[in-house]
Amino acid sequence: MSEGQRLNRNTLAKQNRKLVIAPYLFILPNLLIFGTFIVFPSLLGLYYSFHVYDGLNPMKFNGLDNYIKIIGDREFWSTIGRTGIYAAIVVPLIYAAALGIALLLAREIRMRGFFRAVFYWPTMISYIIVGLTWKWIFGDSFGILNHLLTVVGVEPVGFLTSSFWANTAVIIATVWSRAGFFMVIFIAGLQAIPTDYYEAARLDGATGMKVFRYITLPLLKPTSLLVVMLTLIDAFKAFPLMFALTGGGPGKETTYIVQYIYEIGFNRQELGLASAMSVMLFILIGGFSALQFRLSKGGAV
Amino acid sequence: MTRRTTFKLITSMVLVMLLIVLTACGNSGTSANGKQATLDFLWFSDGKEGEVIKEIIKDYEQTNTQVKINLIEVGFKDIQTKLKTMLSGGKPPALSRVTDTGSFANQAVDLTPYMGNADQFKDQFIDSLKPYYVMNDKLVAAPMDVTANGLIYNKTLFDKAGVKVPTSPDQVWTWDEYTAALKEVMDKGGARYGMVWDVTPHRWSTLLYQYGGSILTEDGSAAAINNEAGIRAMEKFKQLHQEGIMPESVWLGGENPNNLFRSGTVATHWAGNWMISNYKDITDFEWGVTYMPKETQRSSVPGGKFLMAFEGSGYEKEAAEFIEYLTSKEVNSKYNQESLFMSPRKDSSVLNYEFGKEMFEIFADELKNSSPLAANDWSRQTLISKISTDLKNNIMDVLSDKATPQEALDRTAKLINEAIGSQ
Repeated sequence: MSEGQRLNRNTLAKQNRKLVIAPYLFILPNLLIFGTFIVFPSLLGLYYSFHVYDGLNPMKFNGLDNYIKIIGDREFWSTIGRTGIYAAIVVPLIYAAALGIALLLAREIRMRGFFRAVFYWPTMISYIIVGLTWKWIFGDSFGILNHLLTVVGVEPVGFLTSSFWANTAVIIATVWSRAGFFMVIFIAGLQAIPTDYYEAARLDGATGMKVFRYITLPLLKPTSLLVVMLTLIDAFKAFPLMFALTGGGPGKETTYIVQYIYEIGFNRQELGLASAMSVMLFILIGGFSALQFRLSKGGAV
Repeated sequence: MTRRTTFKLITSMVLVMLLIVLTACGNSGTSANGKQATLDFLWFSDGKEGEVIKEIIKDYEQTNTQVKINLIEVGFKDIQTKLKTMLSGGKPPALSRVTDTGSFANQAVDLTPYMGNADQFKDQFIDSLKPYYVMNDKLVAAPMDVTANGLIYNKTLFDKAGVKVPTSPDQVWTWDEYTAALKEVMDKGGARYGMVWDVTPHRWSTLLYQYGGSILTEDGSAAAINNEAGIRAMEKFKQLHQEGIMPESVWLGGENPNNLFRSGTVATHWAGNWMISNYKDITDFEWGVTYMPKETQRSSVPGGKFLMAFEGSGYEKEAAEFIEYLTSKEVNSKYNQESLFMSPRKDSSVLNYEFGKEMFEIFADELKNSSPLAANDWSRQTLISKISTDLKNNIMDVLSDKATPQEALDRTAKLINEAIGSQ
């Protein structure tokens, strides 16, 4: 080996090393933020979950007691059940609404930009404001809807005091505030489908529903998976909207799991127990995501 | 750009990031050795007391030039969380206005050595407040104002219906007379609802004491809420909703009772005395305060706002001195008189309010005629904060037909006994 070659090899190795480090350096700033604000608090939560802790006085280790308590807590499981039902209704509704709007607005129609904006607008409003806005509509004594009902001579409805209507109100508000966001994702997905397929289908004589069923839907599978997964996680983490709209009421009818955990942690000052519940919720959501990913084979078409 | 400069750029970016994170976490506090002592004072306002305290602080700073008070104002709902964060983060404020003295008792400065004669200091205040601020013989806080629950009514609606309200303590309604009066105001006066009641177990418990019940036994060793008196009180509460005298939208739908009363369509509002300053600006109708009805006895529920100094702020002594100043007769009377609050001092029970003087007299009378069990229950704040959400939920279960009064209160009693056992 000549001197020149060796030198060359050395610089090459050096460059290679740099290339190996560079990507890590690039993600370092993000990793630092992620670590400080997500990973570290999560680990701390896991640590708390094995203790009795009120946020102020010294922690007491109590092993798995918090978890045992949760397993026997009827209230916890009925709240999970309620959250599950809410998710089971809200996820398909958002999926259908977002896809429907996207199909309409992916076409070349007049004032397309305006309509897209109209549907996207609500996603930019914070959940608290969405909740308060709908409270002004559904409110029992001050709501616009009840006012209008009285004007036309219909008995006012206890929108926020009846279990059925309160849940309906929450679902309507959720769909309204989230559909626009997923509409954008669907529009992107729809535009990524090559037009050749549609042309081919049309040549074969397929129309309307058939094109949708055999071309659009299958080719949207990765997008659909993403949307379903995000909405499902969203649904299980729902809290601020209900907090502002119904306060979790009437009674506990619209109290979902995150609000329940919040109440245990901050109203009852049992941070250890609340942390253990969060860990359970984390496992549950993680399980869902894994299952979905497996069922859809990672979104492969 | 060459690789080398890219590398440098990245390294410096990372360093800047690290620096930001580190300085954000670092302690920027000032030393206690300096001449000027800056006292962080955590505060919340229900009405106009924030303005009053600012004036008092200004006066204090003028005579005590070495002390500067830094008033940190937060919403009432956030005070507990904010204070907890500051304490567990190792940066306690010098002092804070608090309602829940029990939660922070372990972090509080024992004011005993700073107050000269501690017994004399305590004797200045209404006796029923003592369990709130004396814990394990430690003087953990000092009372700033005292609160009572009472009955605010829409005078215009009562007049329209021709219904008279009691004007002296010997005329107080029984609960049956009171409900009959409300029905009349609804029928003849056109009120949509007879009464609204704040959604808190504290306000709800007024009914419990009037029916002769209590949350705990007198010695605090067990739950008493599910005894016969408790069940009767709960049945009454349910009945008031069933008969449409109380709207379900408040307890079940989260509607704000203040707004309902302000709309002029509700005959009475059961609230705290702080609502007097809140309702001061109502011009659409006339309103007043009257005596609450009784069943087996009269009762209100005492409460208060306290000042607490914290260990580890570096200004324990200065904070204690400031608390002594704020609770002194002259300053405390000025504070309560101008804020339209009631003084916890025995020697300032009659203040010269510029508004609603006669209303305060009624509230003071309610307080004087309260069941001793009320203060006994509510001064056990650590316990109460553990069970009050459950109590509220159980009351709601009764209203929404998910539990009978007996079932709901038995469940509550079980939780109370568990909470007592784990203390």
